Amino acid sequence: MIISILEIGTILGIMALGVYLTFRILDLPDLTCDGSFALGGAITVASLLSGIPVVYCIFLGAMGGALAGLATGLIHTRLKVNSLLAGILVMTMIYSINLRIMNGPNLPVPRVSSNEEIQSFEDLSGGTKLDDLFSDFGEMKVSTKSDIKVQSNIFNNEKDGSDLTLIILITCGIILVLGIFLRTDIGMAIRAFGSNKNAVQSFGISKNVLAVLGLVIANLLVGLSGSLFALYSGFADVQMGQSMIVTGLAALMLGEIILSKINIIYGLFAPIIGGILYQLLLSLAIKYGYRIGLLASDMKLLTALFIIIVIGVSLVATQKDGKKKLKKGVKKLWSNSKT
Amino acid sequence: MVKLKDIKVVFNKGTENEKVALDKISLTIKEGDFVTIIGSNGAGKSTMLKVILGEIFPNSGIYMIDDSVMNGTNSYKLAKFIGRVYQNPNSGVFPNLSIKENLILASKKGMRYLGFSKVSDFGVELLANLGIGLEKRLNTKAGHLSGGQKQSLAMVMSIISRPRLLLLDEHTASLDPQSSEKIMELTKRINIEYGITIMMITHNMEIASKYGNRFVKLSEGRISEDSIRDHVSAS
Ligand SMILES: Nc1ncnc2c1ncn2[C@@H]1O[C@H](COP(=O)(O)OP(=O)(O)OP(=O)(O)O)[C@@H](O)[C@H]1O
Ligand SMILES: [Mg+2]
Repeated sequence: MIISILEIGTILGIMALGVYLTFRILDLPDLTCDGSFALGGAITVASLLSGIPVVYCIFLGAMGGALAGLATGLIHTRLKVNSLLAGILVMTMIYSINLRIMNGPNLPVPRVSSNEEIQSFEDLSGGTKLDDLFSDFGEMKVSTKSDIKVQSNIFNNEKDGSDLTLIILITCGIILVLGIFLRTDIGMAIRAFGSNKNAVQSFGISKNVLAVLGLVIANLLVGLSGSLFALYSGFADVQMGQSMIVTGLAALMLGEIILSKINIIYGLFAPIIGGILYQLLLSLAIKYGYRIGLLASDMKLLTALFIIIVIGVSLVATQKDGKKKLKKGVKKLWSNSKT
Repeated sequence: MVKLKDIKVVFNKGTENEKVALDKISLTIKEGDFVTIIGSNGAGKSTMLKVILGEIFPNSGIYMIDDSVMNGTNSYKLAKFIGRVYQNPNSGVFPNLSIKENLILASKKGMRYLGFSKVSDFGVELLANLGIGLEKRLNTKAGHLSGGQKQSLAMVMSIISRPRLLLLDEHTASLDPQSSEKIMELTKRINIEYGITIMMITHNMEIASKYGNRFVKLSEGRISEDSIRDHVSAS
């Protein structure tokens, strides 16, 4: 139970990391992620079924997400469409595209594919010619063939910690790469874009390029998360991305409450921690919620309410601060005028 | 170096809100000039600077830098030649970035996109020349600075890449008299020591009378006064 919460939570955390990138770093709210999450899953499972090695399938899933981000970015910057609308347009298109990719509303992950299947795939694609082309890989192929069973999934779903280790390693890798990237010159420019959109332009950097780049990276992460999620849960579904943005935001806010972030490196952990926390709360709510009359179908309502409450509370907190400042200012003026 | 010829800018053309902001303005600025621009609200001063920055494309007329036509050139391409500082101290800096990162970004010539650039010595020197100790606080977030400090940083950022032209739009308007004076002295030095051409908009008549070797007045989208005077700021 707790181990699967950690596993799913971390995978969702990767998605929330994408949301963090658009909502916090870029300050460019993006709704593409509902689509790119499902797209990542659909591409991964579909390409897995066509015999492509699982690692490439994950890569393709992430690239699908990146492509969705590119589409949103171009619609937003070239056609000057509001980023939210651009995202909704792309998300809607992806729904249809996913149905085509999967040739139906959902697609199961083959748990273990036998050697025969691989061989038949090689036969299909004209083994000899390919072997010539990739003669360097000849040895590798022989060893693959000699295996009795070929793993078609990176997860074994045995809750023995190996899945969790793998997920955490992937996540740490992502955080490391992203953390370094955000400190490079171009990463710095992306952060600059988020804090003052118009000024980047006056320092000779195209804000359109930065917006598109940011959206591509964010949706690449979401696509990757969707890909891992599909592999983990054993299927891809056209509905699997539904209201991901809400889940992502809730996770992000939970994480930020826990690690009230300042430094970007720590900031990158917030979505992950938040993802785990979100999954934990969700499981608890589903498990014990019935006692107070909650249904599993109420969870979306609760998640959205949570976001509204967090925004409301933080707004009231800053307003209180503002009122205090105002009072102080008035007092100051008053005492100044007396002296 | 900058030449505007019969520049016309019309906002909301063809609607009932149509507004002629610049009405066939012609102006030639020489290298090294310090032009002070005044005019009442809505006269078209900011619009003129935005045309030069490439943020607004004129409806008609020609805009040239040296001998090349710049009509329709994107602002981020023009940024190589042109620095700018606006009235609002928050508009010229990146609040989420440290002072150091702000400087690196502003000296975009040193940008190695996937590499890590360092602050140039010139940048630190400029910062130290301000004399307000910012060079010792390189890791402070720009958002935590006061308005005057932000504006000083913005000035340094606008010239760190050694542009040829600096556009100032009421850049001292939100500062207290002392800070304003400091920033004006810095402005003068930028013009004289670094030889950067300056176009400065101000509503402050004291500043207008004290600084600049050329004086331009705009009224309702036209140039109503254009006089060359002694480089008062040099005295
Ligand atoms: N984006 C815009 N859309 C429509 N009208 C505009 C726009 N920008 C400026 N204007 C109009 O153009 C005219 C000139 O504006 P501009 O900002 O250049 O004035 P200004 O001389 O800088 O005034 P101020 O001293 O108040 O800053 C004004 O009437 C203004 O309302
Ligand atoms: Mg103005």
